[in-house]
Amino acid sequence: MTLSRKRLQDSLAHRQPDRIPIDFGGSAVTGIHVSCVAALRDYYGLEKRPVRVHEPYQMLGLVEDDLRAAMGLDVTGVFPRNTMFGFPNSEWKEWDFRGLNVLVSKDFLVREEPGGDILIYPEGDPTAPPSGRMPLGSAFFDTIIRQQPLQEDRLDPEDNCEEFKPIGDADLEHLKTSVAAARGSGYGILATFGGTAFGDIALVPAPFLKNPKGIRDVAEWYMSTASRPEYIHRIFERQCEVGLQNLARVHAAIGDSVDAVFLCGTDFGTQSSQFCSVRTLKSLWFPYYKAVNDWVHANTSWKCFKHSCGSVEKFFETFIEAGFDIMNPVQCSAAGMEPEKLKARYGDRIVFWGGGVDTQKTLPFGTPEQVRVEVLRRCEIFAPGGGFVFDAIHNIQAGTPVDNIVAMLDAVHEFNGAQVNA
Amino acid sequence: MPELQKLYDAVLNGDQKTAVAITQEALAAGVDPMELITNYMVPAMDKVGSLFECEEYFVPELLLSARAMKGSLELLRPLLAAAGAQPAGRVVIGTVKGDLHDIGKNLVASMLEGGGFEVMDLGADVPPEKFIEAVRARNANIVCLSALLTVTMPAMRTTIDALKTAGVREQVKVMVGGAPVTPQFADEIGADGYSDNASAAVGLARKLVKQG
Repeated sequence: MTLSRKRLQDSLAHRQPDRIPIDFGGSAVTGIHVSCVAALRDYYGLEKRPVRVHEPYQMLGLVEDDLRAAMGLDVTGVFPRNTMFGFPNSEWKEWDFRGLNVLVSKDFLVREEPGGDILIYPEGDPTAPPSGRMPLGSAFFDTIIRQQPLQEDRLDPEDNCEEFKPIGDADLEHLKTSVAAARGSGYGILATFGGTAFGDIALVPAPFLKNPKGIRDVAEWYMSTASRPEYIHRIFERQCEVGLQNLARVHAAIGDSVDAVFLCGTDFGTQSSQFCSVRTLKSLWFPYYKAVNDWVHANTSWKCFKHSCGSVEKFFETFIEAGFDIMNPVQCSAAGMEPEKLKARYGDRIVFWGGGVDTQKTLPFGTPEQVRVEVLRRCEIFAPGGGFVFDAIHNIQAGTPVDNIVAMLDAVHEFNGAQVNA
Repeated sequence: MPELQKLYDAVLNGDQKTAVAITQEALAAGVDPMELITNYMVPAMDKVGSLFECEEYFVPELLLSARAMKGSLELLRPLLAAAGAQPAGRVVIGTVKGDLHDIGKNLVASMLEGGGFEVMDLGADVPPEKFIEAVRARNANIVCLSALLTVTMPAMRTTIDALKTAGVREQVKVMVGGAPVTPQFADEIGADGYSDNASAAVGLARKLVKQG
């Protein structure tokens, strides 16, 4: 086994690894904006070529093996065949992203409005209503809410289940090929298969569908978690049933070749609070999380990766009880998410995949020295005994100075070097 | 005459249908619209705010109560305007240019309305000139700016600078909020106040209006 993969596996098993494993680009929540990937390639003097936008919703750039080596990373990602806009990444073409030449899928079809906003179409179909908008002044797409008028007496949970269907052969083949390539790279592997994110608010509006039905408005969905719990249960039940069948098919195809699986990205925290009570989390989400995680643990060696932004310390016990092995992004800047407290209370029971540096303040707006100091401190707190994968708190955002990204990486390597020499 | 306490309960419980029905019945029975607002709706929204602050209520419950309150308010607003009722303050609110996120902003707008403020919601992705236009048109005394993204936070500064250049900065208090925004950032860009949640924003707005 390669050092990188062993490093990751040790850390996931709460054994002290030789160094802290590092992930950037392994998933759509541990990624890097395409403009920053381009800047990093320039910084490290890598071959000049346009960066691939592998996740167009957040405009994440693909971290290829040459950059992964230059940055000293240990994890690579396996991604589902289709992007957030419902088309596969294939037959790359060049696109001028407001002055930056990038590569996008042939089905990445956009239209620029007179004011400079960019609209994108689901499934690469320009005859469908656009499902994403990137305003002038932004660097990401946001979902266009396409909510049909709701009639309370005609609400049918099946309408919200269009996206939950048996995995297709092409998707399965894509995963097999991607996993084989990832295995060949020697890095630790974080895989995303899709289908088990119960009520992820980025997925509820279904930017990947041409004409989504059911409850697709974000505020309406949030209200429904309080006012229509039975409706939500029916959706989750169906999703769970299909999700478990798909996981079995995926596992039959790829076996235990991946180390961790990004199962759910539903956010439960705001900057200062939570989106629901512990009681609601237990009644509405917990049974489905437990069913999925129990299946994974009973049938595979995969570790279960949960993403939730915000202030979620109050939910950690429930997440652990539900069988999650890994928490991301560990938003230490949110209320009650002090790193020392998290490590002391939960460090032996859950892996912190993230928390390495603040991406709302320090990384984009701090000095390189401020970045270094914060990163070293986080490493001191989270590294002992394993259970830590270094990653920023969520994706590296557009506009982040490359010197700060490099200062962050240098600081982790500085810590790792010091640890190795100790 | 309907039992008006049920209006309080409907807003508190986020029951829009009942809130609207009781309001209609009350108006038909000749109840003063200001009485409905002052004695039932504002206290209900204050209670919603305090339940949110003690983590009994969360964003979904806040949204439901705000919707119930707005349902009633839509019936009352024309009557209030006709009677020349004075609001607690006149607010112009929006998410700044480049940013499409509006849930937090919508909640603040609703809570302010529930707190007796007249609110003009400009929506999301709002350029500075729209804020200026609205401040002038509404003779506003509060401007609320929201941003969720680090890449759009600078547009808050641009907007405040534009208010200065247009000569309307002195007539308004500027409140800012949104996930990446901090009190320090609010100070740096010359805002008058910062709130990290919709409930506290009402208290802040009341305080700022008092300061004049």
